[in-house]
Amino acid sequence: MEQRAAVTRLDLLQGTLDMLILQTLQWGPQHGYAISQTIRSQSSEALKVETGSLYPALHRLERQRWVKADWRISETNQRAKYYRLTPTGKKQLLKERDRWDQLVAAIAGVLNPNPAKG
Amino acid sequence: MRLWDWFLRRQREDDLQDEIRAHLSMAARDRIEAGEDPDRARQAALKEFGNVTLTREATRRSWGGAWRDGLAEFAQDVRFSVRVLLRSPAYALVVIAVLALGIGANVSVFGLFKGLALKPIPGVEGSARLGVLVARTAAGRILPLSHPDFRDMQRDLRSFERLAGTSMDAFTIGYGSRAERTFAELVTGSYFQVLGVRASLGRTLGPSDDVAPGKHPVAVISNDLWRRGFASDPAIVGQTIKVNGFPLTIVGVAEPSFRGTIPGLSLDLFMPVMMAPQLRGVDLLAVRKAPMLWGIGHLRPGAGTTAADAEAAALWPQVATRHDTREVDQRAAVIPMWRSPFGAQTYMLPALALLGLMGVLLLLVVCANVSNLVLARGVTRRGEIAARIALGASRGRIMRLLLAESLVLALPGAALGVLTSRALGFLLRNNAVTVAGFARPFIDASPDATVVVFALALSCGASLVFGLMPALRSSRVNLAGIMKDDLSPRGGSRGRLRDALVVAQVAVSLLLIVGTGLVVRSLRAAQTADTGFDARNVASLALDVKPSGYDEDRGRAFYQRLLDTARADPGVESAALASALPLMLVDGSSHALEIDGVPPQRGEDRRVPTNVVSPDYLRTLRIPLLTGRDFTQADTPSVRLVAIVNETMARQYWTTPAQALGRRIRIDGGPWRFVVGVARDIKYARVTEDPRPFVYLPLDQAYKSDLTLHLRGRGAAGLLVRAQALVHSLDDNLPVLAAQMLSDQTAVAFTVFTLVAGVLMTFGVFAMILTALGTYGLVSYAASQSTHEIGIRLAIGADRSEVLRRFLARGLRLGIVGAIVGVVTAAAASRVLSSLLYGVSATDAVSFSSAIVVVIGVVLAASLLPAWRASRTDPIAALRHR
Repeated sequence: MEQRAAVTRLDLLQGTLDMLILQTLQWGPQHGYAISQTIRSQSSEALKVETGSLYPALHRLERQRWVKADWRISETNQRAKYYRLTPTGKKQLLKERDRWDQLVAAIAGVLNPNPAKG
Repeated sequence: MRLWDWFLRRQREDDLQDEIRAHLSMAARDRIEAGEDPDRARQAALKEFGNVTLTREATRRSWGGAWRDGLAEFAQDVRFSVRVLLRSPAYALVVIAVLALGIGANVSVFGLFKGLALKPIPGVEGSARLGVLVARTAAGRILPLSHPDFRDMQRDLRSFERLAGTSMDAFTIGYGSRAERTFAELVTGSYFQVLGVRASLGRTLGPSDDVAPGKHPVAVISNDLWRRGFASDPAIVGQTIKVNGFPLTIVGVAEPSFRGTIPGLSLDLFMPVMMAPQLRGVDLLAVRKAPMLWGIGHLRPGAGTTAADAEAAALWPQVATRHDTREVDQRAAVIPMWRSPFGAQTYMLPALALLGLMGVLLLLVVCANVSNLVLARGVTRRGEIAARIALGASRGRIMRLLLAESLVLALPGAALGVLTSRALGFLLRNNAVTVAGFARPFIDASPDATVVVFALALSCGASLVFGLMPALRSSRVNLAGIMKDDLSPRGGSRGRLRDALVVAQVAVSLLLIVGTGLVVRSLRAAQTADTGFDARNVASLALDVKPSGYDEDRGRAFYQRLLDTARADPGVESAALASALPLMLVDGSSHALEIDGVPPQRGEDRRVPTNVVSPDYLRTLRIPLLTGRDFTQADTPSVRLVAIVNETMARQYWTTPAQALGRRIRIDGGPWRFVVGVARDIKYARVTEDPRPFVYLPLDQAYKSDLTLHLRGRGAAGLLVRAQALVHSLDDNLPVLAAQMLSDQTAVAFTVFTLVAGVLMTFGVFAMILTALGTYGLVSYAASQSTHEIGIRLAIGADRSEVLRRFLARGLRLGIVGAIVGVVTAAAASRVLSSLLYGVSATDAVSFSSAIVVVIGVVLAASLLPAWRASRTDPIAALRHR
């Protein structure tokens, strides 16, 4: 019981990071450092991904087979572990985006009540 | 498997490390490209990355397999525990030894249980689930089916996958120049296929050995007989073995693990039932009222014993129409193997149940004791535990650690248990033959996978039982208190827990001792019970003249000569022959009984065991004749046929012994016989049996070739040797199949009692020692905790004897509370025992009161030393201590 409640709470947070990672990988395979840099720059430095969350998330996504990883040589000649989206990962991304949109809409509804509907 | 796991994990670790290294070097390179100094860039990258170890740990956790992490953690705990225990080896050894004894006792009992109930037939897969097809009379008696009835049922019964028939009997076998008496099975052609038993040499019996009566003179021998009798001769197939004088060709040796289908007995020979007329000397194959075969087979998947029984009951009326109407009211029935009326489980299982129960009680005492030790140790480890908690370990984590330590203490117990079980299996196998004459008992008590699993489960269970409470308590430490270096126990609650553990030990010990007392007193009662005959000073020699070529006439003449010669011997008081020995534990053959003028009541099954005896048998065994006369040499086949009945039979059918004289009875549909005498009852098969009807037939009017010579000596030694010499003086070639003093033979009847009593006494003594240790520990602890207080008391003038009394009273109080709890439990539980008791009531006052005296005495004795030590406290030293 207790554990399930904890998971739902975490789910939201984790889910968000997961979604961001999956979204980043949509444009092609990336290694962990690049993913964190991308999220950081695209959020205009607002979102800083802790490595303590990033790597567990990546490994978790790999376990769930939403991403696949292999070692490649980067353009800077550095051996790095590249993650890429799998077909199920793509589906998952769509699902998460959908849920995110609903969540945003719902929260927006609460924050800006529309008297016409009420 | 585990190595592979470990390898994978290792690789993943390296992988992660590389990944993090790549991250850092890329971050540093970005900074360098942005113009930072390389050294500072690397430091900044590291700083930005955050705690590397934490990241690695978090990532590792996401690899899933929480159980794997748990396992790794557990392995770590175990390693740590081993290290910690190695640092206090005395403590570890004592706890491990005590636990090993408690667990070992239980595993050994379980090994016996496995051999009797879980795998009753060695060498047969799933033998516990075998169904047994029998005939059940309206009175509830279980009998074999007759041969024709069995064949009918075998053909029509669908609940069995396949059914085999078997009939056990004692036979005289001769091979080479040797002869002996042994138990063997007459079986139907499907027997070996049904049981899935193969031959290790030659072939087994098959359907082709089951076609025509008298046409299959073949036999399969056991591996045991092959080794014992033929020195493992590889050319055994094709050799001849004489069974009751009839030659059979050995066609194969059964695989070593197989020992026939009588649980607890090792059988030597398997022969086609079609040879029964030749081997037994009577042709009953076509007789529907002659009980002969047990059906045995695996039930079809999905068909339980109940369903099979229902089908057998439904089929029976069809079979019954082929019977004469005058016969006993019976029907076919299916019962599970463990309830079958033959085999050792019938008398061993209740005893085992008791031993199992007592074993569990013993283990509880052990756990309570160890719990106390662990608890005491917990006090000394409070510093360590407090440090762990201060460093952030959760209470659950601490408990897991402490429980791992308990497990480390308990697991050697499992290993020892398996070892004792092995030793027991060995012991049973090697001492069996000497115990029970020519029957070879065999119980496979050696450990198998089931036993090992049981041992492991028991250790884990025990470690939970003794470890949980101390762990709960130790993990709840008062940090502030510890920091203030206050290592004394908090409040009275800890003391109460230890008190409760001692009370529990006293109570359970009392239970054990009451149980032991009851069984020991039963043994005494059984040993001194009036068996109705005097076995002392009687030699018994089993003979069979038929295999040596004597026909009936020559046999009669030989036995008459034997009796005459024996009686002429000055060392012999009296001599007689009989076909059955008393107190052999197994019921001899019983026979259909008809009584002139007393028709059987509906549902009554009139079967009666008989003994064919020569004149003077009753006198030789000192069985009193109540009325009438003994058999004499004048009771020849040509004159009026006679019989002697026992008192129970006389009273049951003719109200008084005197009334029985001159009445007529008939055995197995034979000729009518006149009752000429009434003998007092004796115990025929078991000491604990109820009185039952019994018939003696005169040897001259019911000749048998296999007889036992009974000689009552005048007290001189060497009677057995003398008796054997006597036989050989008449026929040098006649083998003596078994020679024993009758008292030794009947001692077997007490085996179960002796065994149970012996084991229980060991359990009881062990439990008492533990309880004494527990009490001693508790009182010493209490005394050491109050040294200061005692010092003050003595300093202000208290009497030393007062201190002594105070600590003695402490032990005594616990003893009394424990004894009360124990007595109440024992009184409630003693009903379980009653089936195993003989001659004492389950609430026997002597057993109870002596147990109370013993337990209180032990508790007092154990408190005496620490109490005395406390009273010797030097007040000065005690007060200076703080």
